[in-house]
Amino acid sequence: MDQPIVQIRELSKVYQHGDIEVVALNGISLDIGRGEFVALMGPSGSGKSTLLHIIAGIDRPSNGRCVVEGTDVGDLSETELAAWRKQHVGFVFQTFNLIPVLTAFENVELPLLLTGLSARERRDHVEAALELVGLADRMRHLPRQLSGGQEQRVAIARALVTDPTLLVADEPTGNLDAHSAADVLALLQTLNRDAGKTVVMVTHDPKAAAHARRMVHLEKGELLNGG
Amino acid sequence: MTIPGFILRNALRNKRRLTLTVLSVALSLFLFTVLQTALRELSQPQLTEQSALRLIVRHKVSLANVLPSKYQSRIARVPGVKRVSRLTWFGGIYIDESNFFAQFGCDANALFDILTEVTTDPEQVAVFKREKTACMVGIKTMNRFGWKVGQKVTLRGTIYPATLELTIRGVYHGGIDETNLFFHHEYLDEATGWHVVGCYWIQAANADAVADVIQKVDAMFSSSAAETKTETERAFQLTFLSWFGNVKFLIGSICSVIVFTMMLVTASTMSMAIRERTREIAVLKALGYNGGQIFGLILAESFGLALVGGLIGCVGTWFLAQNVDMYVLSHGFFVKFEVTPHIVSAGLLIATAMGVVSCVAPAVASVRASVLDGLRELD
Ligand SMILES: Nc1ncnc2c1ncn2[C@@H]1O[C@H](COP(=O)(O)OP(=O)(O)OP(=O)(O)O)[C@@H](O)[C@H]1O
Ligand SMILES: [Mg+2]
Repeated sequence: MDQPIVQIRELSKVYQHGDIEVVALNGISLDIGRGEFVALMGPSGSGKSTLLHIIAGIDRPSNGRCVVEGTDVGDLSETELAAWRKQHVGFVFQTFNLIPVLTAFENVELPLLLTGLSARERRDHVEAALELVGLADRMRHLPRQLSGGQEQRVAIARALVTDPTLLVADEPTGNLDAHSAADVLALLQTLNRDAGKTVVMVTHDPKAAAHARRMVHLEKGELLNGG
Repeated sequence: MTIPGFILRNALRNKRRLTLTVLSVALSLFLFTVLQTALRELSQPQLTEQSALRLIVRHKVSLANVLPSKYQSRIARVPGVKRVSRLTWFGGIYIDESNFFAQFGCDANALFDILTEVTTDPEQVAVFKREKTACMVGIKTMNRFGWKVGQKVTLRGTIYPATLELTIRGVYHGGIDETNLFFHHEYLDEATGWHVVGCYWIQAANADAVADVIQKVDAMFSSSAAETKTETERAFQLTFLSWFGNVKFLIGSICSVIVFTMMLVTASTMSMAIRERTREIAVLKALGYNGGQIFGLILAESFGLALVGGLIGCVGTWFLAQNVDMYVLSHGFFVKFEVTPHIVSAGLLIATAMGVVSCVAPAVASVRASVLDGLRELD
């Protein structure tokens, strides 16, 4: 395996609430290689989301380093971080978080509005992404006209459309029925296997985790078995 | 979709709220432009045939500076000048300072030939002309103090070291100002021994001569010790009319309140809109939108909302000016009601500035909020 895409070293995250300190992550070291599909597992409150947020550059470590493709995410300013996320991270949320007034097509197009692409190039990218998630026929639908599983697939298309380094997903199947969940997981698996996407997924569902190539267990902010 | 398309889509989310907000801004701007137009019309020369022919010559430096009395004959010789009268502000006190009204020394023989639109009793005028200590008083001031013709009135000078003992010999009605008192300039000259004049009042021969007279009179005295400034009576009066300052202040105050209300309306709409979208804004940030871009989206929405409201308001004012006869509606108070590009652009500028200002605080707050806090927010 070549140089890992994500290098986490002695990473800690401590939340301070007055006198009380909550240690969400405690000295974590972890490498994630290119093309991996990692499932972050562990009981509630073990720090899965916190770790994912730091990898995705929407949270900052208290101590230690998180280097993604050579960039120490902790060193960037807010504006730099936003630009970094745009380029490197595709986000999939548990609650889909599509913009309700935009169609599937427009939701997927949203991250591309920040790029210098022409309208035509944007359309090609969006159509390709929606094709990939199997929703080419639902482009003109609003989120409320889609099922939960379809909404999540639109969200995955939105995460993919900028061709990011990393696809991160926090409980992507948490709000879905078993059938839709299976679809979404199969999709993530396909994206990883066929399109070579690096995927980091948080889940506490062992069935979901089984779709990943590697499982990482967290407990009380620490890695079990060294990752 | 484009960025402007996205902004539009955001603005159109809550159509009822959007409509109400746009209409409030529109109504505010309608009132604002109507009031500003009214104010402008008040400040404009309101020309009747007679008043358009009247000019005032005063000292170039200020109204407090006086002119030599020998100017009168020179002005009278200027081509296009039909009549000229001295017109000197006396500024005397009647019993108490609070009893303020305007008093002018003038040429009794020329006065009512120049001030043609007022109505007088020819017999009273004849008596007034003959008697050096006589005066003619506007009906409003007569009524105010319960004066009767034949009564003596004592005015204590403030500017001039003289106390005038005047006898009311007549009353005038009509004209733009029914509060003035006119007396013989000669009486003032004798009482003070000064022989100075506040202003000269010119009646031009015809409308075509006005511009020429203004230019010639000022040119004639341009190298004298006392240079003059000649202007139409209307322009001159506006610096004088006691109520004008108050009206201006009142309209100014109302306009400020309107602007402030407009700001509150857009501010509440925008803060509601932003609050509802806390989570979506966090999502946009997670997708890579930076603080400046988020701020721009919010700012543009607020700006657009205020601009559309402002435009509707301006169209309303324009429609009013086109379709309603303000001369009839205002009983002749407004001769014209012209909505100028200047007023419209000032209104739009204010509306959009308010739109921008009103969203700054919530926009900055949402830019500063962390992505994680925003994502935790429930829909
Ligand atoms: N903003 C915060 N302030 C204080 N404590 C926090 C904050 N965010 C997370 N924590 C704490 O950090 C710990 C890890 O939280 P995290 O959300 O990463 O857990 P998780 O493994 O994702 O749990 P779940 O499966 O329930 O989502 C928890 O004890 C949590 O209470
Ligand atoms: Mg979590």
